[in-house]
Amino acid sequence: MASRKEGTGSTATSSSSTAGAAGKGKGKGGSGDSAVKQVQIDGLVVLKIIKHYQEEGQGTEVVQGVLLGLVVEDRLEITNCFPFPQHTEDDADFDEVQYQMEMMRSLRHVNIDHLHVGWYQSTYYGSFVTRALLDSQFSYQHAIEESVVLIYDPIKTAQGSLSLKAYRLTPKLMEVCKEKDFSPEALKKANITFEYMFEEVPIVIKNSHLINVLMWELEKKSAVADKHELLSLASSNHLGKNLQLLMDRVDEMSQDIVKYNTYMRNTSKQQQQKHQQENMQRQSRGEPPLPEEDLSKLFKPPQPPARMDSLLIAGQINTYCQNIKEFTAQNLGKLFMAQALQEYNN
Amino acid sequence: MSRFFTTGSDSESESSLSGEELVTKPVGGNYGKQPLLLSEDEEDTKRVVRSAKDKRFEELTNLIRTIRNAMKIRDVTKCLEEFELLGKAYGKAKSIVDKEGVPRFYIRILADLEDYLNELWEDKEGKKKMNKNNAKALSTLRQKIRKYNRDFESHITSYKQNPEQSADEDAEKNEEDSEGSSDEDEDEDGVSAATFLKKKSEAPSGESRKFLKKMDDEDEDSEDSEDDEDWDTGSTSSDSDSEEEEGKQTALASRFLKKAPTTDEDKKAAEKKREDKAKKKHDRKSKRLDEEEEDNEGGEWERVRGGVPLVKKPKMFAKGTEITHAVVIKKLNEILQARGKKGTDRAAQIELLQLLVQIAAENNLGEGVIVKIKFNIIASLYDYNPNLATYMKPEMWGKCLDCINELMDILFANPNIFVGENILEESENLHNADQPLRVRGCILTLVERMDEEFTKIMQNTDPHSQEYVEHLKDEAQVCAIIERVQRYLEEKGTTEEVCRIYLLRILHTYYKFDYKAHQRQLTPPEGSSKSEQDQAENEGEDSAVLMERLCKYIYAKDRTDRIRTCAILCHIYHHALHSRWYQARDLMLMSHLQDNIQHADPPVQILYNRTMVQLGICAFRQGLTKDAHNALLDIQSSGRAKELLGQGLLLRSLQERNQEQEKVERRRQVPFHLHINLELLECVYLVSAMLLEIPYMAAHESDARRRMISKQFHHQLRVGERQPLLGPPESMREHVVAASKAMKMGDWKTCHSFIINEKMNGKVWDLFPEADKVRTMLVRKIQEESLRTYLFTYSSVYDSISMETLSDMFELDLPTVHSIISKMIINEELMASLDQPTQTVVMHRTEPTAQQNLALQLAEKLGSLVENNERVFDHKQGTYGGYFRDQKDGYRKNEGYMRRGGYRQQQSQTAY
Repeated sequence: MASRKEGTGSTATSSSSTAGAAGKGKGKGGSGDSAVKQVQIDGLVVLKIIKHYQEEGQGTEVVQGVLLGLVVEDRLEITNCFPFPQHTEDDADFDEVQYQMEMMRSLRHVNIDHLHVGWYQSTYYGSFVTRALLDSQFSYQHAIEESVVLIYDPIKTAQGSLSLKAYRLTPKLMEVCKEKDFSPEALKKANITFEYMFEEVPIVIKNSHLINVLMWELEKKSAVADKHELLSLASSNHLGKNLQLLMDRVDEMSQDIVKYNTYMRNTSKQQQQKHQQENMQRQSRGEPPLPEEDLSKLFKPPQPPARMDSLLIAGQINTYCQNIKEFTAQNLGKLFMAQALQEYNN
Repeated sequence: MSRFFTTGSDSESESSLSGEELVTKPVGGNYGKQPLLLSEDEEDTKRVVRSAKDKRFEELTNLIRTIRNAMKIRDVTKCLEEFELLGKAYGKAKSIVDKEGVPRFYIRILADLEDYLNELWEDKEGKKKMNKNNAKALSTLRQKIRKYNRDFESHITSYKQNPEQSADEDAEKNEEDSEGSSDEDEDEDGVSAATFLKKKSEAPSGESRKFLKKMDDEDEDSEDSEDDEDWDTGSTSSDSDSEEEEGKQTALASRFLKKAPTTDEDKKAAEKKREDKAKKKHDRKSKRLDEEEEDNEGGEWERVRGGVPLVKKPKMFAKGTEITHAVVIKKLNEILQARGKKGTDRAAQIELLQLLVQIAAENNLGEGVIVKIKFNIIASLYDYNPNLATYMKPEMWGKCLDCINELMDILFANPNIFVGENILEESENLHNADQPLRVRGCILTLVERMDEEFTKIMQNTDPHSQEYVEHLKDEAQVCAIIERVQRYLEEKGTTEEVCRIYLLRILHTYYKFDYKAHQRQLTPPEGSSKSEQDQAENEGEDSAVLMERLCKYIYAKDRTDRIRTCAILCHIYHHALHSRWYQARDLMLMSHLQDNIQHADPPVQILYNRTMVQLGICAFRQGLTKDAHNALLDIQSSGRAKELLGQGLLLRSLQERNQEQEKVERRRQVPFHLHINLELLECVYLVSAMLLEIPYMAAHESDARRRMISKQFHHQLRVGERQPLLGPPESMREHVVAASKAMKMGDWKTCHSFIINEKMNGKVWDLFPEADKVRTMLVRKIQEESLRTYLFTYSSVYDSISMETLSDMFELDLPTVHSIISKMIINEELMASLDQPTQTVVMHRTEPTAQQNLALQLAEKLGSLVENNERVFDHKQGTYGGYFRDQKDGYRKNEGYMRRGGYRQQQSQTAY
């Protein structure tokens, strides 16, 4: 099973790299001087991630782990990984850092690359653009400049095409996160939008020649019928789920906007009122009215809502849309194929 | 050791271990339980025994005295210490006890102590004030005595049942002891004395002997309050060995028996003496009587002291036999004056009044006086409990019922007596036989109070005990009394009074299911109109007819709103209980009670809630699930059904209310025999919610605007879903949830088996009077609603479906299926048409698929998102900018379209 996926993975390499190219183009638009231009993943890593999810992940729960590897010129080679243990209630004092260090030391003893180059995470219907991911990726990237996050989508993989994507925060977003100022003004100044938050790094899955040879051999033996998930025409469930999630995000977005709107209205109303009050008082005392600038000093405007969340939601909506687009496009193709096939048969 | 062998018997050897003195005592099986019965020739041996017994008993009595003292000053710590010592001392005295039986005074202190402790325990205010040590001692002592008393249970209960006997035994002790004991003692003392005196005339030989002996004793040592414990032993000795005294006693007793005129005097004198003594007792205790009164008492006291009771009369009964109305009334007033005063011995008062009645009866003072005194007796019986919260003791209650019955007898026997509240004291006519007798007093108030007391007793009895059943038997008596009073008032009372007594009658009738009438209904009428008439006559005794008559009278005549409201509610309840749904509903709607019930006082509101619940259950029985659901919604949705129905306090709100409130709420509780089964109520509610909600959910599966019909039902469903492991259902709720799940799939058979099975029958359905009818109704409902659900859920996968198939699937006959489907089509719930020749339903398939629905919703959401976004933009731009205006209108239009869709759906909802 796993080996077959590996097989599709290697064939999918080209597709994912082309898909990545679009993202890369965008990413490049934001930052031409990114430290990592390409990610090269060992087949072993892919298998380990898939195995990890199948053993521990279920439903909306995500699994996470550490990526190990090396940086070679502008290429990040990921040669191994290990999972984070699942958190349980009863071992609250479990030291994660300690565990990681221990793990890496042990791996070094068996002569495995022990450089920490990022982390991986599974996702549920492509919903990964969250605050948690942003924060941890920021801390990774802050500590190790080259780190990436690998997002593995088990559901898409189960449908027949391996979905593994590498993301990095754009330098701009890094700046903003460093400042920790998510007020509307700061984001405006940073000129950041949801498109330029993450950059996708193209992925290449590389296997040793020996493995490739084995793969060829296996491919010959495996029956074609085994690969039929790729051609499955049932789409409604997946699409429905995606729509549902998309709707939820849209709702959130809506609320966020309403919040922002109220904030704007409150600020302006307050400013006007205070201005008038102050001026009235001044008039009664016979002083000239205050100039505009002093007002903001005198009265504290209401706390502006953090805009980072809405950025993230927008990013997430974007991902969903991409997903749906991709999925429907593929499905349409499949449907046409099926139609043609049927006509031919008739 | 050899000594043991000589003694022989088991108990003897035991006793020898405990006390050396006993050894000298010869083996004797002839010790009766009562030392009184001992014959003279045993006197020698007896003395030896007495020394041993005395020693032990003295020890005990000394301890008891300290305990009583400690009780008096509320020193619980001391009580605890002494109690422990007492226990030890009792252990030592065990051998004697084995012989003699448990001494009465010992049982007495145990019972008293327990009562006293319980009293302290109940008295929360007092407990708060108590210091820590005392409080701690109280709880330990309470536990200890409980444990300890378990061994003496039979003795204590027998003691409690007839304290007079025990009091008899150590009457002397009681006499003085009461001073040192708590109120409780005095009560019993009083009771005993009262019965004592009553009995005296009937069986003077035994008791009177004692009584007289006691009198002699008193004469001799002129009644000092010392040495009360010694009295006990003293009494036994004097009883047994003072034979010469006996002669005198018998002589006296015989005089009593003869009932000669002199005896009368004797008796009166004795009574007077008792009365005086009782007076003196509380006199001493209270120490707050007026100077004048004290003088009075003093005078009387002097006379008694004179020691010639047979000659001298108390001053109110002038010159012996000449007992006139005026004298009796004066005495009565004198007794009544003490009423309500602190320290008044209420028990003694009752006893005095009873004596007075006897005197009045013996002297043929006429019914007027007797009625008046009886009124006062009942009033003082009610007064007996100082606290509103505490309830009457069973013996007091019994006495009260008897008294009222007697009073009613008199009133019925003498129609010329007028009783009324409005009659002034001055205008009373108690003896003038020429004119109608007029007595102040209100029988109705007494009966109402009696009813309240009955409720209180029921509230305070553990509903799962045999005791409750015993008390409940009194209900018949209460009803009988109410009926009598009703008859009486129908003749003599004003309309207002009649209304009140009717209400009382209604309140005792409305909650009872009339099985007789039900049976009669079940036997089908013989067809002809004549038999119907017969039946109508038969129904003369029916509670329905009775209710109708009483309520109608109240509706017509009552001027206070409250009585009418109560009567209406009871009437509705009664209708609902007997499945007369339409009458009940119409009455409820006509009365407009729903609009203004929130202004009523809590008991009426509770009654209202009970009525609504009963109405809902009635609707359910009739198969009107929607009505049932609506009626029960208010009660069930709050989750406080228990509290709203007055069937118990919620623990949750215990912290929120203070003690006062809690007391008030406790008083509001409905007695257990009126309770509505909460599980039945919840089950009815959930099942009706299921029958409504499941098809609705199926019809609006993908509708975002879908509303819940019943929150509680959804809550139960969610709870069911959260279960990690789904076993077979256990509780009623689980059954309903499981049934709902089955129904969701249109699987009516599984649903049926979950709703109606052994467990559910036992828990719920068998509680209905017509269980089988309800069950058939329920099955039918389940079939219908399952069919609807099935069509909603699976219509999208069918092109057409044969009605015959459906009728087979749901075991409904074809016309029913036809009508259900037609109704769905008319209500636009099902997009289909019927094909008559083939008997099939042809689906139109115009409903959007799930994805389409989702897409529509998404579009709607995006619309609102854009609109919100525009507003932000507006803000930046100011409110001008015609271009965006137009745009917005465009969105609006779009939304309008959506709304129309929504509207259509809503409409179908309402139609549904």
